[in-house]
Amino acid sequence: MVQVLDDYAITSPLRQKNTLLKIAIASFGIFMGLLSSSPITPLFIFAIISFSIIFFGKIPIKTYLKILTIPASFVITSAIIIAFISGSGQNLFSFEIFGHTFGVNKEGLNMAILVLSRSFGGTACLFFLALTTPMIDLFAVLKMTKLPDSLIEISMMMYRYIFVFLDVAMGIKYAQTVRLGYRDFKTSFRSLVMLGANLFIRSWEQGEKLYLSMNSRCYEGKLVMYDEKRSIEIPEILLAFSFFTLVIAIFYFTRDVVLF
Amino acid sequence: MHIMEGQLPLIWSAFWFAFSIPVIIYGIYKLNKLVSERREVVPLIAVAGAFIFVLSSLKLPSAVTMSSSHPTGTGLSAILFGPAITSVLGVIVLLYQALLLSHGGLSTLGANTASMAIIGPFIAYIFYKSASKAGMNFYLNVFLATALADLATYIVTSLQLALAYHGDYGSYLESFAYFAGIFALTQIPVAIMEGALTALIMKYVIQIKSDTLIDLKVLSASAVTRLKETME
Repeated sequence: MVQVLDDYAITSPLRQKNTLLKIAIASFGIFMGLLSSSPITPLFIFAIISFSIIFFGKIPIKTYLKILTIPASFVITSAIIIAFISGSGQNLFSFEIFGHTFGVNKEGLNMAILVLSRSFGGTACLFFLALTTPMIDLFAVLKMTKLPDSLIEISMMMYRYIFVFLDVAMGIKYAQTVRLGYRDFKTSFRSLVMLGANLFIRSWEQGEKLYLSMNSRCYEGKLVMYDEKRSIEIPEILLAFSFFTLVIAIFYFTRDVVLF
Repeated sequence: MHIMEGQLPLIWSAFWFAFSIPVIIYGIYKLNKLVSERREVVPLIAVAGAFIFVLSSLKLPSAVTMSSSHPTGTGLSAILFGPAITSVLGVIVLLYQALLLSHGGLSTLGANTASMAIIGPFIAYIFYKSASKAGMNFYLNVFLATALADLATYIVTSLQLALAYHGDYGSYLESFAYFAGIFALTQIPVAIMEGALTALIMKYVIQIKSDTLIDLKVLSASAVTRLKETME
């Protein structure tokens, strides 16, 4: 079974909180992190949001660290490239490969650290939303917006079928693995082709069945959902508000700070 | 290949949103038109989107590099549904990848949409259509179109990063070469693998359920019978 972040969101204690408030906190964090020109603001956001994910969201630290490593490889690779390419001036250190000099200078290093901290801050905010708010709650928010119905309908049905097909795919993969289907490169490629083709055919048939079953239940191009009203309580407002002011204050006071 | 949360400066995030949103709106317009004509396409498209998501969460066996690499599925979708609908499906898939698997991000959604859901599929579609008019072998065509979609996605992503991060004026090209060069290590094998995978998936589909391909106007009925004859 594939673990998705939604599994944690459904059992999260923060699930019962107002969805709009959670979206506001996450997007504020992402936005301020990107706006900041010093790495301190994003790192501060990262610390606070991580703390609330672990402490209020009751996500085990081990799990949280494990999911943080998912985006890490891409983030770190590009941070290294950014360190080498951006900025100008005196090189802090350099080396030569094939007659081409590669060097890191102060500006480049600062830029790389800034990008790295922004990624961590932003990722924490994304996790804050993903680990506390199941998609079902986000659909309710999407329904309130002026987005076209067809788009939301398709997203909702897609969401449902992602899990159906993940189960099917994992089942097929398991069956192939116990029959030594992933023994070496050639067999694993063959197995993957069979899996993909079968999944396509199965999903197509499922789609036809879905249309029939929805039609027989009077589907008129609109799925009606029950939207739970969740009020915002005063302590939550105070907490969110103090987070906002703290971040803005730190953003203001550290705007000229550079590390090197 | 996604740009992760916080990797692009605010101005470039905004720029790529501004680039992607009109295309998505056009895609939705096309989709709505299709839906009003044939109501049964809504569940089919939704299920196809879920298929793309699941396909993109499978790991490809990688002989060259040790890194985990996965197909994007957008080339296949472009061949099946055309670029306009693929862009709409792509944006939903990207949103789910960000929220369910933490691939990509919310502020970089616009940039990722531009590379993965718009430019890649568009190139794949143009290639597929013109090559099938020129009478290219169907499997070779699917292979090349899908691989091209992957390559275009990776080149646009490198370009996006190079535009945002570069040294002195005029060194855009150099920083693009850095990004493209490093990502090429993982992305070129992925493109070839996905092309081969998609072409072979198509072969199975023609064997077992060729009528869907005729329904979607991917192949004409006569082309399908010809392909089936060559198999025997």
